[in-house]
Amino acid sequence: MTIFNMYIFDKFGTLMYYVEWNRTKKSGITREEEAKLTYGMLFSIKSFVSKISPHDPREGFLYYKTNRYALHYLETPSGLKFVLNTDTAAINVKELLQQLYAKIWVEYVVRDPLWTPGTPVTSELFQNKLDEFVKQSPIFGIRNI
Amino acid sequence: MSEEIVFDCLHAEIVNYCLDNNKQKHDLGILEYIGFTTGYRLIERLTREVPRFKDELETMKFICTDFWTLIYKKQVDNLRTNNNGMYVVQDKAFRFLTRISPGTQQLEHAPKFVAFTCGLVRGALSNLGINSTVTAEVQSIPACKFHIEVNRN
Repeated sequence: MTIFNMYIFDKFGTLMYYVEWNRTKKSGITREEEAKLTYGMLFSIKSFVSKISPHDPREGFLYYKTNRYALHYLETPSGLKFVLNTDTAAINVKELLQQLYAKIWVEYVVRDPLWTPGTPVTSELFQNKLDEFVKQSPIFGIRNI
Repeated sequence: MSEEIVFDCLHAEIVNYCLDNNKQKHDLGILEYIGFTTGYRLIERLTREVPRFKDELETMKFICTDFWTLIYKKQVDNLRTNNNGMYVVQDKAFRFLTRISPGTQQLEHAPKFVAFTCGLVRGALSNLGINSTVTAEVQSIPACKFHIEVNRN
Protein backbone atom coordinates (compact mmCIF):
# COMPACT_ATOMS: atom_id res chain seq x y z
CA MET A 1 0.00 0.00 0.00
CA THR A 2 1.19 3.47 -0.61
CA ILE A 3 0.23 7.12 -0.66
CA PHE A 4 0.94 9.23 -3.71
CA ASN A 5 0.06 12.83 -3.07
CA MET A 6 -2.28 15.19 -1.28
CA TYR A 7 -4.11 18.44 -1.95
CA ILE A 8 -5.77 20.66 0.62
CA PHE A 9 -8.27 23.22 -0.68
CA ASP A 10 -10.27 25.75 1.26
CA LYS A 11 -13.96 26.45 0.63
CA PHE A 12 -13.16 28.97 -2.11
CA GLY A 13 -11.01 26.52 -4.04
CA THR A 14 -7.68 28.04 -3.04
CA LEU A 15 -4.92 25.47 -2.91
CA MET A 16 -3.77 25.70 0.69
CA TYR A 17 -1.18 22.99 0.52
CA TYR A 18 0.17 20.38 -1.85
CA VAL A 19 2.58 17.58 -1.09
CA GLU A 20 3.65 14.45 -2.91
CA TRP A 21 5.41 11.28 -1.81
CA ASN A 22 5.46 8.41 -4.26
CA ARG A 23 4.25 10.07 -7.44
CA THR A 24 5.85 8.65 -10.54
CA LYS A 25 3.85 10.35 -13.28
CA LYS A 26 3.66 14.11 -13.50
CA SER A 27 0.72 15.86 -15.09
CA GLY A 28 2.89 18.03 -17.33
CA ILE A 29 1.06 21.22 -16.38
CA THR A 30 1.89 23.77 -13.70
CA ARG A 31 0.98 23.23 -10.06
CA GLU A 32 -1.67 25.97 -10.25
CA GLU A 33 -3.26 24.56 -13.39
CA GLU A 34 -3.31 21.09 -11.90
CA ALA A 35 -4.91 22.35 -8.70
CA LYS A 36 -7.60 24.18 -10.65
CA LEU A 37 -8.31 21.09 -12.71
CA THR A 38 -8.53 18.91 -9.61
CA TYR A 39 -10.76 21.35 -7.78
CA GLY A 40 -13.03 21.73 -10.80
CA MET A 41 -13.43 18.00 -11.08
CA LEU A 42 -14.15 17.60 -7.37
CA PHE A 43 -16.69 20.39 -7.52
CA SER A 44 -18.45 18.68 -10.43
CA ILE A 45 -18.36 15.24 -8.82
CA LYS A 46 -19.82 16.65 -5.63
CA SER A 47 -22.80 18.21 -7.38
CA PHE A 48 -23.17 15.19 -9.66
CA VAL A 49 -23.24 12.79 -6.73
CA SER A 50 -25.81 14.78 -4.80
CA LYS A 51 -28.08 15.21 -7.82
CA ILE A 52 -27.92 11.66 -9.14
CA SER A 53 -28.25 9.91 -5.78
CA PRO A 54 -31.41 7.78 -5.56
CA HIS A 55 -31.45 8.22 -1.77
CA ASP A 56 -30.99 11.23 0.35
CA PRO A 57 -27.18 11.39 0.38
CA ARG A 58 -25.66 11.48 3.85
CA GLU A 59 -22.03 12.25 3.30
CA GLY A 60 -21.96 12.67 -0.45
CA PHE A 61 -18.80 11.99 -2.41
CA LEU A 62 -16.24 9.88 -0.51
CA TYR A 63 -13.78 8.43 -3.02
CA TYR A 64 -13.32 7.07 -6.53
CA LYS A 65 -11.07 4.34 -7.84
CA THR A 66 -9.35 3.67 -11.15
CA ASN A 67 -7.35 0.55 -11.91
CA ARG A 68 -4.16 2.17 -10.59
CA TYR A 69 -5.12 4.59 -7.85
CA ALA A 70 -7.88 5.74 -5.54
CA LEU A 71 -8.76 9.35 -4.78
CA HIS A 72 -10.10 9.90 -1.27
CA TYR A 73 -12.02 13.00 -0.40
CA LEU A 74 -12.86 14.51 2.98
CA GLU A 75 -14.78 17.74 3.30
CA THR A 76 -15.12 19.37 6.69
CA PRO A 77 -18.17 21.39 7.77
CA SER A 78 -16.04 24.51 7.26
CA GLY A 79 -15.56 23.60 3.60
CA LEU A 80 -11.93 22.50 3.80
CA LYS A 81 -11.22 19.72 1.34
CA PHE A 82 -8.60 17.07 1.93
CA VAL A 83 -7.79 15.03 -1.15
CA LEU A 84 -5.50 12.03 -0.84
CA ASN A 85 -4.39 9.76 -3.66
CA THR A 86 -3.45 6.24 -2.64
CA ASP A 87 -3.11 2.91 -4.38
CA THR A 88 -6.27 0.81 -4.73
CA ALA A 89 -5.51 -1.48 -1.79
CA ALA A 90 -5.50 1.25 0.86
CA ILE A 91 -8.08 0.86 3.63
CA ASN A 92 -9.33 3.15 6.37
CA VAL A 93 -8.25 6.23 4.48
CA LYS A 94 -11.28 8.12 5.70
CA GLU A 95 -10.13 7.72 9.31
CA LEU A 96 -6.63 8.77 8.31
CA LEU A 97 -7.92 11.96 6.72
CA GLN A 98 -10.12 12.69 9.71
CA GLN A 99 -7.14 12.28 12.04
CA LEU A 100 -4.95 14.36 9.78
CA TYR A 101 -7.48 17.15 9.93
CA ALA A 102 -7.95 17.00 13.70
CA LYS A 103 -4.38 16.33 14.78
CA ILE A 104 -2.26 18.06 12.19
CA TRP A 105 -4.28 20.76 10.46
CA VAL A 106 -6.10 22.09 13.52
CA GLU A 107 -3.04 21.82 15.76
CA TYR A 108 -0.36 23.24 13.53
CA VAL A 109 -2.17 25.50 11.08
CA VAL A 110 -5.26 26.78 12.85
CA ARG A 111 -3.32 27.31 16.07
CA ASP A 112 -0.30 28.88 14.39
CA PRO A 113 -0.60 32.58 15.27
CA LEU A 114 1.49 33.51 12.23
CA TRP A 115 -0.89 31.92 9.74
CA THR A 116 -3.53 34.13 8.15
CA PRO A 117 -6.75 32.23 7.40
CA GLY A 118 -7.36 31.89 3.68
CA THR A 119 -3.70 31.90 2.68
CA PRO A 120 -1.59 28.92 1.57
CA VAL A 121 0.29 27.17 4.35
CA THR A 122 4.04 27.68 4.46
CA SER A 123 4.74 26.61 8.06
CA GLU A 124 7.69 24.25 8.23
CA LEU A 125 6.36 22.81 11.46
CA PHE A 126 3.15 21.78 9.71
CA GLN A 127 5.08 20.29 6.79
CA ASN A 128 7.24 18.20 9.10
CA LYS A 129 4.37 17.02 11.27
CA LEU A 130 2.28 16.11 8.24
CA ASP A 131 5.13 14.20 6.63
CA GLU A 132 5.81 12.34 9.87
CA PHE A 133 2.11 11.56 10.33
CA VAL A 134 1.63 10.21 6.81
CA LYS A 135 4.87 8.22 6.80
CA GLN A 136 4.05 6.40 10.00
CA SER A 137 0.56 5.42 8.90
CA PRO A 138 0.15 1.78 7.86
CA ILE A 139 -1.25 2.91 4.52
CA PHE A 140 2.00 4.59 3.55
CA GLY A 141 3.72 1.22 3.66
CA ILE A 142 6.72 0.42 1.55
CA ARG A 143 7.41 1.57 -1.98
CA ASN A 144 5.99 -1.10 -4.25
CA ILE A 145 4.76 0.64 -7.33
CA MET B 1 -8.15 20.76 25.12
CA SER B 2 -11.04 22.89 23.91
CA GLU B 3 -10.63 25.65 26.46
CA GLU B 4 -6.92 25.87 25.70
CA ILE B 5 -7.48 26.78 22.10
CA VAL B 6 -9.72 29.67 23.11
CA PHE B 7 -6.96 31.23 25.20
CA ASP B 8 -4.35 30.58 22.51
CA CYS B 9 -6.44 32.18 19.80
CA LEU B 10 -7.43 35.11 22.00
CA HIS B 11 -3.80 35.69 22.90
CA ALA B 12 -2.78 35.62 19.23
CA GLU B 13 -5.49 38.15 18.38
CA ILE B 14 -4.54 40.42 21.26
CA VAL B 15 -0.97 40.39 19.97
CA ASN B 16 -2.14 41.32 16.46
CA TYR B 17 -4.50 43.98 17.77
CA CYS B 18 -1.95 45.67 20.00
CA LEU B 19 0.75 45.73 17.39
CA ASP B 20 -1.54 46.86 14.56
CA ASN B 21 -2.91 49.78 16.53
CA ASN B 22 0.56 50.91 17.35
CA LYS B 23 2.23 52.96 14.71
CA GLN B 24 5.63 52.08 16.12
CA LYS B 25 5.85 48.45 15.16
CA HIS B 26 8.03 47.23 17.97
CA ASP B 27 6.25 48.68 20.94
CA LEU B 28 5.44 45.75 23.17
CA GLY B 29 4.59 47.98 26.13
CA ILE B 30 0.82 47.66 25.81
CA LEU B 31 1.01 43.89 25.63
CA GLU B 32 3.25 43.84 28.67
CA TYR B 33 0.83 46.07 30.54
CA ILE B 34 -2.15 43.86 29.68
CA GLY B 35 -0.12 40.97 31.04
CA PHE B 36 0.75 42.92 34.18
CA THR B 37 -2.84 43.76 35.08
CA THR B 38 -3.96 40.22 34.26
CA GLY B 39 -1.25 38.72 36.45
CA TYR B 40 -2.00 41.15 39.25
CA ARG B 41 -5.66 40.14 39.37
CA LEU B 42 -5.05 36.49 38.68
CA ILE B 43 -2.72 35.91 41.61
CA GLU B 44 -5.45 37.00 43.98
CA ARG B 45 -7.61 34.16 42.74
CA LEU B 46 -4.84 31.58 42.60
CA THR B 47 -3.43 32.10 46.06
CA ARG B 48 -6.66 32.21 48.03
CA GLU B 49 -6.01 28.78 49.53
CA VAL B 50 -2.23 28.95 49.61
CA PRO B 51 -0.42 29.69 52.90
CA ARG B 52 1.86 32.71 53.06
CA PHE B 53 5.25 32.35 51.41
CA LYS B 54 8.30 32.07 53.60
CA ASP B 55 10.68 33.97 51.35
CA GLU B 56 11.33 35.19 47.84
CA LEU B 57 12.57 31.83 46.57
CA GLU B 58 9.40 30.12 47.70
CA THR B 59 7.37 32.71 45.81
CA MET B 60 9.40 32.05 42.71
CA LYS B 61 8.87 28.32 43.09
CA PHE B 62 5.13 28.93 43.28
CA ILE B 63 5.31 30.88 40.02
CA CYS B 64 7.26 28.09 38.35
CA THR B 65 5.01 25.25 39.48
CA ASP B 66 1.41 26.11 40.35
CA PHE B 67 1.11 29.38 38.46
CA TRP B 68 2.74 27.98 35.31
CA THR B 69 0.72 24.77 35.43
CA LEU B 70 -2.54 26.68 35.65
CA ILE B 71 -1.79 28.94 32.73
CA TYR B 72 0.49 26.91 30.49
CA LYS B 73 -0.55 23.36 31.51
CA LYS B 74 3.03 22.43 32.38
CA GLN B 75 5.75 23.32 34.84
CA VAL B 76 8.83 25.25 33.85
CA ASP B 77 11.81 23.08 32.97
CA ASN B 78 14.42 24.92 34.95
CA LEU B 79 14.71 27.62 37.60
CA ARG B 80 18.05 29.16 38.39
CA THR B 81 19.08 31.97 40.68
CA ASN B 82 22.25 33.76 41.77
CA ASN B 83 20.71 34.20 45.26
CA ASN B 84 20.92 37.92 44.76
CA GLY B 85 17.60 38.77 43.17
CA MET B 86 18.28 37.36 39.72
CA TYR B 87 16.17 34.44 38.55
CA VAL B 88 16.17 32.64 35.24
CA VAL B 89 13.09 30.62 34.37
CA GLN B 90 13.46 28.29 31.45
CA ASP B 91 10.60 26.71 29.52
CA LYS B 92 11.76 24.38 26.77
CA ALA B 93 8.38 24.26 25.04
CA PHE B 94 6.72 27.58 25.74
CA ARG B 95 3.02 27.31 24.94
CA PHE B 96 2.69 30.38 22.73
CA LEU B 97 5.65 29.29 20.64
CA THR B 98 4.89 25.60 20.18
CA ARG B 99 2.76 26.16 17.06
CA ILE B 100 5.31 28.36 15.34
CA SER B 101 7.85 26.91 12.94
CA PRO B 102 11.22 26.40 14.62
CA GLY B 103 13.06 27.92 11.66
CA THR B 104 15.17 31.04 12.13
CA GLN B 105 13.03 33.18 9.83
CA GLN B 106 10.20 33.09 12.38
CA LEU B 107 12.50 34.07 15.23
CA GLU B 108 11.88 37.79 14.68
CA HIS B 109 8.20 37.23 15.50
CA ALA B 110 8.97 35.54 18.82
CA PRO B 111 9.14 38.69 21.04
CA LYS B 112 5.48 39.44 20.26
CA PHE B 113 4.39 36.20 21.85
CA VAL B 114 6.39 36.44 25.04
CA ALA B 115 5.68 40.08 25.99
CA PHE B 116 2.30 39.27 27.55
CA THR B 117 3.86 36.58 29.72
CA CYS B 118 6.62 38.91 30.91
CA GLY B 119 3.90 41.23 32.15
CA LEU B 120 1.93 38.37 33.60
CA VAL B 121 4.86 37.25 35.76
CA ARG B 122 5.69 40.83 36.75
CA GLY B 123 2.07 41.48 37.75
CA ALA B 124 1.85 38.29 39.76
CA LEU B 125 5.05 39.03 41.63
CA SER B 126 4.02 42.62 42.17
CA ASN B 127 0.86 41.57 43.97
CA LEU B 128 2.94 39.19 46.07
CA GLY B 129 5.07 42.12 47.17
CA ILE B 130 8.03 41.72 44.85
CA ASN B 131 8.87 44.55 42.49
CA SER B 132 10.71 43.20 39.52
CA THR B 133 11.77 43.62 35.92
CA VAL B 134 10.96 40.69 33.68
CA THR B 135 12.55 40.20 30.28
CA ALA B 136 12.44 37.25 27.93
CA GLU B 137 14.92 35.70 25.59
CA VAL B 138 14.15 33.31 22.72
CA GLN B 139 17.14 31.69 21.10
CA SER B 140 15.39 28.84 19.39
CA ILE B 141 11.64 28.29 19.07
CA PRO B 142 9.86 26.92 21.11
CA ALA B 143 12.28 27.32 24.05
CA CYS B 144 12.13 30.53 26.05
CA LYS B 145 14.01 31.99 29.01
CA PHE B 146 12.52 34.58 31.33
CA HIS B 147 14.91 36.74 33.31
CA ILE B 148 13.44 38.08 36.52
CA GLU B 149 15.37 40.82 38.24
CA VAL B 150 14.08 41.82 41.66
CA ASN B 151 14.28 45.54 42.24
CA ARG B 152 15.38 46.28 45.77
CA ASN B 153 14.97 49.75 47.13
